[in-house]
Amino acid sequence: MPKSLFNIRIILRFLGHLLILEAMLMLICGGIDFLFKDHTQLVFLQAAGLTFCAGLFLALNGMHAKRDIGKHESFVIVTLVWVLFSLFGALPFYLSGHFNSFTDAFFESMSGFSTTGSSVLVDVEILSKGILFWRSLIQWLGGMGIILLSLAIMPMLKIGNYQLLTAEVPGPVYDKIHPRVTVAARRLWFLYSGLTILLVVLLRLGGMSLFDSICHSLTTMATGGFSTKNASIAHWDSAYIEGVTVLFMFLAGTSFVLLYRVFSGKFYKIKQNEEFKAYFYIVLVSGLVLSTALFFFADLSPVKALRTGFFQVVSIITTTGFTTADFSVWVPGIRFLLIVTMFFGAMSGSTSGNIKIGRIVLYTKISYNELKRDVHPNAVLPVFFNGRAMPATLIYGLFGFLFFYILLMILSVGIFFAMGLNMEDSLGVFLTSFGNIGPGLGNHFSNFFDLPGIAKWYSGFLMLVGRLEIYTVFLLFSRTFWRN
Amino acid sequence: MNIIVAGAGEVGVHLAKMLSREKHNIVVVDQKEDVLENLNSNYDLMTVLGSPTSLSALKDAGCNASTDLFIAITPEESRNLTACILAAKLGVKKTVARVENPEYLHPEQKAFFEQLGIDSLICPEILAAKEIADSLVRPWVRQWYEFNNGTLILIGVKVRAGANIIGKELMNLFTHDESCRIAAIKRGKDTIIPGGRDIIQTDDMVYFITTREHVDTVRKMADKPHTEVHKVMIMGGSRIAMLTAERIAEQFDVKILEVNKERSEKVKERLGSKAMVILGDGRDIDLLHDEGIEQVEAYIALTGNSETNILSCLAAKRFQVQRTVAEVENNDYIPLAEGLDIGIVINKKLIAAGHIYQMMLDADVSNMKCLTFADAEVAEFVVKEGAKITKSKVMDLRLPENIGIGGLTRDDKGIIVYGNTQILPGDRVVLFCPSTYLRKVEKFFK
Repeated sequence: MPKSLFNIRIILRFLGHLLILEAMLMLICGGIDFLFKDHTQLVFLQAAGLTFCAGLFLALNGMHAKRDIGKHESFVIVTLVWVLFSLFGALPFYLSGHFNSFTDAFFESMSGFSTTGSSVLVDVEILSKGILFWRSLIQWLGGMGIILLSLAIMPMLKIGNYQLLTAEVPGPVYDKIHPRVTVAARRLWFLYSGLTILLVVLLRLGGMSLFDSICHSLTTMATGGFSTKNASIAHWDSAYIEGVTVLFMFLAGTSFVLLYRVFSGKFYKIKQNEEFKAYFYIVLVSGLVLSTALFFFADLSPVKALRTGFFQVVSIITTTGFTTADFSVWVPGIRFLLIVTMFFGAMSGSTSGNIKIGRIVLYTKISYNELKRDVHPNAVLPVFFNGRAMPATLIYGLFGFLFFYILLMILSVGIFFAMGLNMEDSLGVFLTSFGNIGPGLGNHFSNFFDLPGIAKWYSGFLMLVGRLEIYTVFLLFSRTFWRN
Repeated sequence: MNIIVAGAGEVGVHLAKMLSREKHNIVVVDQKEDVLENLNSNYDLMTVLGSPTSLSALKDAGCNASTDLFIAITPEESRNLTACILAAKLGVKKTVARVENPEYLHPEQKAFFEQLGIDSLICPEILAAKEIADSLVRPWVRQWYEFNNGTLILIGVKVRAGANIIGKELMNLFTHDESCRIAAIKRGKDTIIPGGRDIIQTDDMVYFITTREHVDTVRKMADKPHTEVHKVMIMGGSRIAMLTAERIAEQFDVKILEVNKERSEKVKERLGSKAMVILGDGRDIDLLHDEGIEQVEAYIALTGNSETNILSCLAAKRFQVQRTVAEVENNDYIPLAEGLDIGIVINKKLIAAGHIYQMMLDADVSNMKCLTFADAEVAEFVVKEGAKITKSKVMDLRLPENIGIGGLTRDDKGIIVYGNTQILPGDRVVLFCPSTYLRKVEKFFK
């Protein structure tokens, strides 16, 4: 056998074990269907069976693998895990008969795992409870990350690998909370689960049914945005539920490392964190601006304007994508405000998607520094972030990201345009897919069912690229990666 | 265990990497951003940027009562001492400092340093000198590890062509002898845990496990002549050279070659009558000849240049010198030097890291410790009451292949384990297995 660049067996082993895990999760949804005596129990059994067989096949092929995972294997594993999870995750959708084609099922599944929350369904209320729960569950898994989950709960893989983690965790820098990756992963998942349970209780107190509150908690903490109702959160029309949801979307958009530090008693970390401050003020200012605009141009009462304004801003900045109003009917000026917020994303290390506030802060600082440098050519101008000077390599990485982002935007808008979408829709679909937000603009504000088939696949690809923050996926397309 | 390593120099980095492979929580503190970045992204540990003597950096690294061990290993002695004192006052349970001054290591000073909060001191140069001196006592031994307080000894020997044990199946070699057995064989790059049908080949590195009184039996089995070293030649007047000379001067006749005039005078001043100091280059064949290299039994190259050390050892081997020792500080050259058949390769970093590692193993109260050597693990288990391994004699246990029980210690006495040995609860068992088998083995002891 020629000497391979990759440790292929370990990749197979890893993927195999994870697929078996996914099969088990499908069985849970089957169980829920069974409880509610819904019609899709068999669907989950079939899907779980197929997934389990595929997982077993891969795992058996990966037996006795050497335990070293290098950079190459990490990137391949992370990307393939997300692709495979979405492909197999589409099986229950496809088999349930609610979707017209496998393309639709895959779009829904990828939109779920990447926590985008765009849907091709016109009516979600006719879906079985199992399918609804599956939609929520896959968002929840994708929110904190599949790899992080596997590091936390699958010690049989016995691979505490930082490379894997950095390929998946969003944001330019990952801060360690514990020397061992597996322990850190466990703590983050524990915190994530804890917050989710707390939210379930709070939503239940607001009068949501237990099933709805669980589903909404899962998708809120993941900043996903799938709802069990056609009208999303507006269905309940309750200030309490909207308030709780806004608060938890905001928390989910905060770095979990920071949350962990705060919950373990280090409150001063919040004050030191520039990204959090920027996040907080951006949300506050955008919320106020949108509320004012709604008050003046959409004829809403002051209270209603504030409620809607803040809900939409937090929902979009954290890339959750819940809606309490149909903003396709708002005047263009207000829609423009929403487009602006679609560029941000929340904090690095949160469950949100998009560019992230951390990067935005750094871009601003670097660019402002360049202005100063024009006046004082010999000034020493390091870029400080959270009190530390950022190394040059990080800055190169940031600009690489920006370049790829712009390139991708131009290409994607062109591609969607060529497929017959209008300009606003093309931009909207790109922003919402890449940023893992959910609702688009114009005609595709809340629904993507009439998108051409090929556009759905491409949009799914954008979701993956956005969730894994460009580099992890793009590397696989580069020549240097495949050459020794 | 929670361990903080202060100082990401070569020793610190090596140690941190080694420890992070075990189940320890490692935090490395240093000011070198690039080194930390590399460690952080490639190993399962945490790094803190800051001076090891800064209180805030130490607190960030988690210096408090939950930390079990603090290792200060920067190149500067005084910093290490300060860092250890600070860490101890912050509540760390045990501290270790790397020092250079041999007078600190005197047993009389131990209480004094403990009072300051420094529990142990290590000096890589002295450890290296000790290792060299030990190797001269038994020139035929390549590697020497002690287990269970020295009741069991692991000896690595290189088997030369013509030795008696070559070409015979192991089961025929050890018929009535219970004084030693072969625990592992290193052949080229592979490590073999041998069974009864394996055969030893020329140039194998064979690891025997034995007790202290039977060390000579091992020598006879490996067909090694019993030569005593009388004359030693050291090339290079480095600190290790002087420490070594001081240590061995009483037993052996020592000659030191030093090329720098000032240095040679300093060496002579310090060593006095303990050694003869020659001004000259150790690579000069004529000089070696004049100074009687033919009569020398051991040649030790300790200059600051690894290449010089390796080459001059090769030259010495052509003069039939029995034992050659080379200091190789460049880690990449170590396998190379071993391949060139240089008797012992001395590397300060590895010695220091290995020593700290050993120290931790000894302090570890859990029932399992292990030491990675070559590609295999040597693990030490304490047998629990009712463990699977006590159910029948070793040969009837159906242990997985590739696992060799070497020996055990019972009532402070080393016993070599054979097929008909019965293992009892409370025994401390030393066994060998490939690195990935450890978990399977653990089951037998619980």
